[in-house]
Amino acid sequence: MASVKLTNVKKIYDKNVVAVHDFNLEIHDKEFVVFVGPSGCGKSTTLRMIAGLEDISEGTVEIDGEVVNDLQPKDRGIAMVFQNYALYPHMTVYDNIAFSLRLQKMPEDVIYEKVTNAAEILGITEYLMRKPRALSGGQRQRVAIGRAMVRDSKVFLMDEPLSNLDAKLRNQMRSEIILLRQKLDTTFIYVTHDQTEAMTLADRIVIMKDGFIMQVGSPDEVFDMPDNLFVAEFIGAPKMNIIKTKLVCEGGKYYVTPFGAKIAVDGDKGKELANRKAPGGDILLGVRPEHIQLATAADHAIPCTLVVDEMMGSELHLHVDTEDGTRLIVRVPTLDLDKDQRKTLVAGAKLYITFEGKAMHLFNPETEKNLLT
Amino acid sequence: MSQKEVTSKRHMGLKAANRVSNTAIYILLTIISIVWLLPFVFILLQSFRCETDRGMVGYILPKVWGFDNYIKLWNSDFRRWYINTFIIALVSAVLVTVIQLCMSYTLSRFRFKMRGPLMRFMLILGMFPGMLTMIILYRVLADLGLTQANAVPGLILVGFASSGMGYYVSKGFFDTIPKSLDEAARVDGTTRLQVLYKIILPLAKPIVIYTILTAFMGPWGDYVFAKYVAFGTSAGYNVAVGMYSWLSNDQIGNWYTTFCAGGVVVAIPVTILFLCLQKYYVEGVTGGAVKG
Amino acid sequence: MKQYSDLEFLRLSKWQRFCYKFLAFFAAIPHAIANFFIKIGKGIKTAFVKVVDEFRDIGLTFAHGDWKTKVSYLVMGFGNMARGQVLRGILFLLFELVFIFYMVTTGGYWLSMLPSLGKQGPTKEYDPIYDTNVTTYHDNSFKILLYGVLTIFFIVAFIYTWRLNVKQNKIMEGILKKGGKLKRDKDDLRSMVDENFYKTLLALPLTGILVFTVMPIVFMILVAFTNYDGNHNGYSNALFSWVGLQNFNTLFSWQSAGGGQSYSATFGEILTWTLIWAFLATFTNYFLGMFVAMMINKKGIRLKKMWRTILVMTVAIPQFISLLYVSKMFARNGLINLTLGPQGLGWIKEPLPFWENATWARITVIIINIWIGIPYLMLITTGILMNIPADLYESARIDGANAWQQYRKITLPYMLFITGPYLLTSFTGNMNNFNVIYLLTGGGPTNSAASGAAGSVGYTDLLITWLFKITQGTEAQYYLASVVGIMVFVVVALISLVVYNVLPSIKNEEDYQ
Repeated sequence: MASVKLTNVKKIYDKNVVAVHDFNLEIHDKEFVVFVGPSGCGKSTTLRMIAGLEDISEGTVEIDGEVVNDLQPKDRGIAMVFQNYALYPHMTVYDNIAFSLRLQKMPEDVIYEKVTNAAEILGITEYLMRKPRALSGGQRQRVAIGRAMVRDSKVFLMDEPLSNLDAKLRNQMRSEIILLRQKLDTTFIYVTHDQTEAMTLADRIVIMKDGFIMQVGSPDEVFDMPDNLFVAEFIGAPKMNIIKTKLVCEGGKYYVTPFGAKIAVDGDKGKELANRKAPGGDILLGVRPEHIQLATAADHAIPCTLVVDEMMGSELHLHVDTEDGTRLIVRVPTLDLDKDQRKTLVAGAKLYITFEGKAMHLFNPETEKNLLT
Repeated sequence: MSQKEVTSKRHMGLKAANRVSNTAIYILLTIISIVWLLPFVFILLQSFRCETDRGMVGYILPKVWGFDNYIKLWNSDFRRWYINTFIIALVSAVLVTVIQLCMSYTLSRFRFKMRGPLMRFMLILGMFPGMLTMIILYRVLADLGLTQANAVPGLILVGFASSGMGYYVSKGFFDTIPKSLDEAARVDGTTRLQVLYKIILPLAKPIVIYTILTAFMGPWGDYVFAKYVAFGTSAGYNVAVGMYSWLSNDQIGNWYTTFCAGGVVVAIPVTILFLCLQKYYVEGVTGGAVKG
Repeated sequence: MKQYSDLEFLRLSKWQRFCYKFLAFFAAIPHAIANFFIKIGKGIKTAFVKVVDEFRDIGLTFAHGDWKTKVSYLVMGFGNMARGQVLRGILFLLFELVFIFYMVTTGGYWLSMLPSLGKQGPTKEYDPIYDTNVTTYHDNSFKILLYGVLTIFFIVAFIYTWRLNVKQNKIMEGILKKGGKLKRDKDDLRSMVDENFYKTLLALPLTGILVFTVMPIVFMILVAFTNYDGNHNGYSNALFSWVGLQNFNTLFSWQSAGGGQSYSATFGEILTWTLIWAFLATFTNYFLGMFVAMMINKKGIRLKKMWRTILVMTVAIPQFISLLYVSKMFARNGLINLTLGPQGLGWIKEPLPFWENATWARITVIIINIWIGIPYLMLITTGILMNIPADLYESARIDGANAWQQYRKITLPYMLFITGPYLLTSFTGNMNNFNVIYLLTGGGPTNSAASGAAGSVGYTDLLITWLFKITQGTEAQYYLASVVGIMVFVVVALISLVVYNVLPSIKNEEDYQ
């Protein structure tokens, strides 16, 4: 029920180590924003500055229009879920959830109402009398969320809440968080290093690296139009293939020439290049594995050798080497292959591949920026 | 040796070797236990020796048994010394624990500008022999009238005033309590003070007990400073100083067995307390050594 | 010297590696010393710059400040009170008044006497009425030194507080100019249990340490530069005064300390034994304690709890009882000699000289110390041994290591890494292990060549027991004790410095968190 605004926020440790550089972001009311990035990129630090657990070296943080820099965490109207749950080991689940309410001196019957209500939603009613140590990881996680839920806070902060769970439980909890969000209908700020979580949960994703924001955008935007090489490689799995090559312009049409082939840049991207009258020259070409197709020895197809094939179930990941030794990953839906074709796809097999012209990403090799942004 | 025998030896060796080494270990442990307990058994036996010669003798089992030594003990200054020591131990246990917990909790949990320099400064201070400060502390206490017959409050004061330096063990323990608990509590709406007594103290029970226990046990063995402060006035002695005086060359002939009785009277309550709280002591000691 | 890369280093044999490290350590010393001085130089420079900055800031605050700020330069806390922070203001003002009162009444006197440590010693005059000599006491060097130091502490505290007062005015003006709100008294009080809770918690412990540790240490360091002793106690017989570095000269000179040996030889002898003792006491306990712990921990040994309890019990019994009793057991007419002697088993004719012969005494002390120390070490090492991951041993056994190799390659390195800091504190603790030595031997047997002017020195005396002895009685040499104390500090500091730089496990405190 509140907006959060960060203006020129900086975090500096020990006078010279800068953990967060000049962070500017406005988070709207009821928005679900995910900070994502590799470890040490400053995403948790930023979250903790919003929470008030970390001093803000420079800049201001506003919650609901009020500058909260000098407020204690408890006065900021936030709730937070921690990575290791941070449940009080000496209290029962009930007491854990009721802790903040008791500090607010709420009447016990109201507390009872709220706690049992939250427990019901999270499906932990039967564990209310237990101590945290007697719970499984997933149950602890629910208690941690329950503890944050009952606070009726303006902003809900989550610091890598799923990273201590195993893969299966993580998927389950992820969908539960989506449901929770619909129920709570409040502002969420969520930190994770996992791009899948970011893509599935977020209204907007903030991708960070070394304390800088690399891109802010909806999941579609960051996937389809990565601002720079880092975002391109970070979002999407398996990782985008990056190829050093040249951009050439012939008669108003643009082509890339990877591995001796010549592939036209089609669609909006081609038009945009033409509009901008972009010069040719060295570029980095990014192609997502799902945008590479198997082809035959026909023209413009690139010959390569299969090194490893990974069967993922619904799809097949092929690691191939081109003739100059560049390793590429190709993602082929299993449905597209018939039995005989599948049998030929074994290590050592010779293949031909081609790229989908409209789904290619072009980056400046020096600045690593997308040519089209 | 045939091939078969070699193979069978290889197969049987593990169990047999184990049996041999285990037997050796049992023998060794038994010897160790005897060596470690024997002197205390001797003290106990000597305390019941009621012959005319109350000095040192060359045998262990008393020829005449009785409680004379304990009666003599009761009628001597020992009663006063015991009460002195007990008061010091009790009061120190409370005060030292409070001070050390304040210190170690702060240094474990707060990151303030002077924290690093402060810890380094205390490390350096600790390298000065404590004995050096005795001379002046004695004179200061003397000025305050807290020496000799009034040694008890003096010893308590000096003992707890600088006890903040011994924060290492409990800081090591506090460091093992995840910081996110503090943070969660602060988000939940506590002040730092409430974090301390609502979250940390309930979790720190082992280290609190450890600190109380060590603080309580310390004064029973404190000799040198107690001697300095009491300075020849029997009323201000603690048990260590008092009983040491019984072993001087001109006293030992009369007081040796009484010393043993005194030793028993001092050791029993402390040992019982210690054995009851052993678990916490071991936790503290191990944690402290590892965390430094 | 040749620098090896990491991979080249790994190819060396064990012995070569040791030599390389050893040489590298010494090769690095000149560089380290150079760095040290560069650091000091830089430190002085930054300190100077800081002081200049402070003065400039004080001046600027005054020039730009409003009248409330300007008044605060004289009346501390005025700015706070005028702007609504009554509590802070009153505390500032109170401190200023107390300071002025103290300086006017007594502080000035102590400070003025500090350079001379007193002018007029006690005088004796004939009193015709009572027909006796009456002593009149005048200055008191001890109090002058003590309160002089206190006064200097107080002045420093005052300057700091005054500066704080000025700074606060500047901050308050800044906030008000921006249209912000100042903290009220209520906020100040609340912050004492919240964001400033650490100040509340530290106040009492740090005051205690300041008064009862820092002050006495500063005082005793200063004593090393005076001639304070039993004959110059600064009050009832004669005043003492500053003598510069003379006491250090004495300790390191070839001047006779009585008994035909110089001070420096006596000091060297005691220091050598102190180091030997600390080394042996630490490591015998460490390895034997670990050995006992490993025996009890071994798989298949039963009654683990009983064995442990037996040993732990001995930790509980106050040390002075066991030490004194054992000391008497080994005495000339003690239990052991009587049992073995003619009245007992008759195995020996003459009593064994446990406490009479220097070598016997030293060995006995170390053995008894093992008896005292093993249970404690057993406790410490048990916990750590049980924490060593079992799969390390399993993988070593699959690799073909026998029991000894497992100990050498897994247990020992792990233990040394974890207990490194403990070993260091234990070593320095043993250097200062007053109780064990004093209660067992009292420092004896007497070393007649060393005793005399340097007090009575024994063969088992550590620096710390020697220090204690020369502060006893009417012939006490406090100044010498001070010098010895400082030397103990220097030795401990040097050892710690070297070990800290070699030990991996101390370096990063946060690694453990």
